[in-house]
Amino acid sequence: MEPAAPDDLSELTDYSPDGVDLTLIRWMLSLTPAERLVTHENYLNDILAIRERNARS
Amino acid sequence: MPEVRPTATLRALRDAGVDFIVVGGLAAVLNGAPINTFDVDVVHSRDAANIDRLLAVLDALGTSLKPSMFHLASSGHLNLVTRHGPLDLLGTIGRDLGYRDLLAHSIELDVADGLRIRVLDLETLIAVKEELGGDKDRAVLPILRRTLEEKRKL
Repeated sequence: MEPAAPDDLSELTDYSPDGVDLTLIRWMLSLTPAERLVTHENYLNDILAIRERNARS
Repeated sequence: MPEVRPTATLRALRDAGVDFIVVGGLAAVLNGAPINTFDVDVVHSRDAANIDRLLAVLDALGTSLKPSMFHLASSGHLNLVTRHGPLDLLGTIGRDLGYRDLLAHSIELDVADGLRIRVLDLETLIAVKEELGGDKDRAVLPILRRTLEEKRKL
């Protein structure tokens, strides 16, 4: 039997009134600019790799 | 597999002695905004000596198109593709703001080993996007504004 979903997720989510995920922003701000650049570059290349993999299928 | 290497593009520009300021989506990322962009947008100094250095490094970067000194001295935008990925060279942004106008609104960041570059500050990036007011610019404004708010709390 699955546990019931909690009614209140406020402790696990944090959005601004206009719907921006503040958790993601705080995570990015916890990185140094150099770490942000590496993360960004890796992310872009992962996306390109996924695109290419699926273009072949 | 094609790859994008913004770090390599920035290092090539810096190593060639080009005066530039990173703007646009990459400036947002470096300022801590969680967005994605495939290109490197920079506003370059349009001084003749800087354009000479820029022309030399564009050649080394193997750009898809070969802009002339005339192109690089203009206030317009050039959308190039280099061996490291897309590179947009912008004479001005917003209301005709060039390199010298933006210098006081930029910060120097350490973005990789031995690589310090000038990046447009978040406040000015937001102001420019508010002025432009296009759909693409408006779409990212909530994230930029919230990033600035969170940054100010640190």
